[in-house]
Amino acid sequence: MTMTHGPAAGSLLRQRRYRTIGMGVLYTLFSLVAILFTLPFFLMLSSAFKSSAEILRVPPTLFPADPSFDAFRTVLNDAPFFRWFANSLLVSSTITLLVLFTCSLAGYIFAKFRFPGRDVIFVVLLMTMMVPFPVLLIPSYLVVNELNLINSLWALIVPAMVSAFGIFLMRQFIAGIPNDLIEAARLDGAPEWSIYARIIVPLARPPMAALGIFTFLAAWNDYLWPLIVINDLEKSTLPLALTFFNSQHAQRYDLVMAAASMAVIPVIIVFIVFQRQIVNALVLAGLK
Amino acid sequence: MAAVTGEPLIRKKTRIGNRAPGHASRMRFVAISLIPILSLLVVFSLLPIGIAGWLSFHRYNQLAPTAPWIGLRNYEFAFQTDPFFRNALENTLKYALVAVPVNIVLSLPIALGLNQIKRFRAVFRTAFFMPAVASAVAVSLLWTTIYDPQAGWLNAFMNQVGLSSQPWLRDPDLAIWSVLAAAVWQDLGYNILIFLAGLQGIPDDFYDAAKVDGAGPWQRFRGITLPLLQRTTVFVLVLTMISYLQQFTHIQVMTGGGPIRSSETLVLYIYGKGFQDLQMGYAAAMSIVLMGIILLITLVQLRLLRSRWEY
Repeated sequence: MTMTHGPAAGSLLRQRRYRTIGMGVLYTLFSLVAILFTLPFFLMLSSAFKSSAEILRVPPTLFPADPSFDAFRTVLNDAPFFRWFANSLLVSSTITLLVLFTCSLAGYIFAKFRFPGRDVIFVVLLMTMMVPFPVLLIPSYLVVNELNLINSLWALIVPAMVSAFGIFLMRQFIAGIPNDLIEAARLDGAPEWSIYARIIVPLARPPMAALGIFTFLAAWNDYLWPLIVINDLEKSTLPLALTFFNSQHAQRYDLVMAAASMAVIPVIIVFIVFQRQIVNALVLAGLK
Repeated sequence: MAAVTGEPLIRKKTRIGNRAPGHASRMRFVAISLIPILSLLVVFSLLPIGIAGWLSFHRYNQLAPTAPWIGLRNYEFAFQTDPFFRNALENTLKYALVAVPVNIVLSLPIALGLNQIKRFRAVFRTAFFMPAVASAVAVSLLWTTIYDPQAGWLNAFMNQVGLSSQPWLRDPDLAIWSVLAAAVWQDLGYNILIFLAGLQGIPDDFYDAAKVDGAGPWQRFRGITLPLLQRTTVFVLVLTMISYLQQFTHIQVMTGGGPIRSSETLVLYIYGKGFQDLQMGYAAAMSIVLMGIILLITLVQLRLLRSRWEY
């Protein structure tokens, strides 16, 4: 920007001063809001590190007077916490990998192939997307029950293996990949599977990252479906197990918060490390 | 699917499109890939939709030997007799109609601010989005401890600033709003991100041109930001409304619908009827009513927003 001389200079200076003050106000406000967003997590950790005596103190202390790992130790000793963690990890990663595979493949086919009934099938697919989950709740339970999957991790994985939203997202993106690339590979005699695996998948990385993150987070945090199809503690995923743990240890906030911390902190760490990629991916999926 | 007609082979060089060379192998690829995927969708999406419709016209109890057809009686019972359905419906609408504006009134200004700053933007963005990646159950348990009438931090804070303690989740008048505050706190980050993406999609040239024309900040906001953010706003409004109409986890974990059903929403009631009272036919009918409401509100929103801004 060039300096302006004459009468305009004064107003420009004033404008700049207002801008500086405005920015100061904005940063102050944001710092306060950021505290509001992070303080509860701090309180969670603070409770988790308190002793069973201190957790009952009224009013509650902000910092644990004598921080200890007792609560964490009790959770790990009394409850199959690692089992729950492993269940969640296994279910969420399996679902994510399968969804990425099925949706990218189906998205590719809907985007780049012509076959009888394609458009009708795609419209039906879009319509199933509009049906809210509560409608599917009871019927899906009956189907899964019919398939004898109740109370196994398969009950969580199998119904989630394909996502209409995922197919839609992938189709929208893959439609933008030039046909020439595919045609050229075909002329070179590449089999269809290798075109999918070697050309489409690498080019469709951005929406696949988005879909993967979305799917993993949704599966990791899902509560309603596991609540219905899992009734064995050994087969619980973390969210379901947390509510069970809470009902077993009501008012033992030190234990409940220790368990909650162990469920939440790993996800938050992963998020902070990859925050740029994750945010970009979510924005991409959200705006499609 | 993927039927290959007996096209003469000699024409393979002269025709492109459907019957280009390799057509058969392509159709085989389509069939082999798509049939298993679509079967899964049929079994776990399409079939359940059909079952939901069927259930809603029957008196269905998993343990009973028969499921008699009862026509529209499930629906009649919901609207004419069942006081708990009415209660749940009112709570659902109350909850969504407050949560959506609150969410947008908070997320849009935060996004506008984030779009202005350059330093520490990523830090703030991360902080604002952190609750959204945490599990809803963990967050609900966390807020339950914060709201605890005796040992909770909120009452400790209220007392600090000279206000009296409140029972929060245990008060029929406050429970639903206390849950709402925690839920909005948790998912504000999503809408902040989407609004921010929308704002960053507006070219700087527009603002520069307006500045040259002497438009002040408020005029630039009214004349450029708001109209160009219209698509994003509609998107956010519709999706947020749909999600709050189906809210389950926070309410179930924090209050279980209580006290005295004051925070019981439709999905909670449907879950209770279907899986605790085992009246699955009735529960399915209510879920279809919920779908109708969601569809109706979505259509009204799209219609209203379009007519207001399209010229």
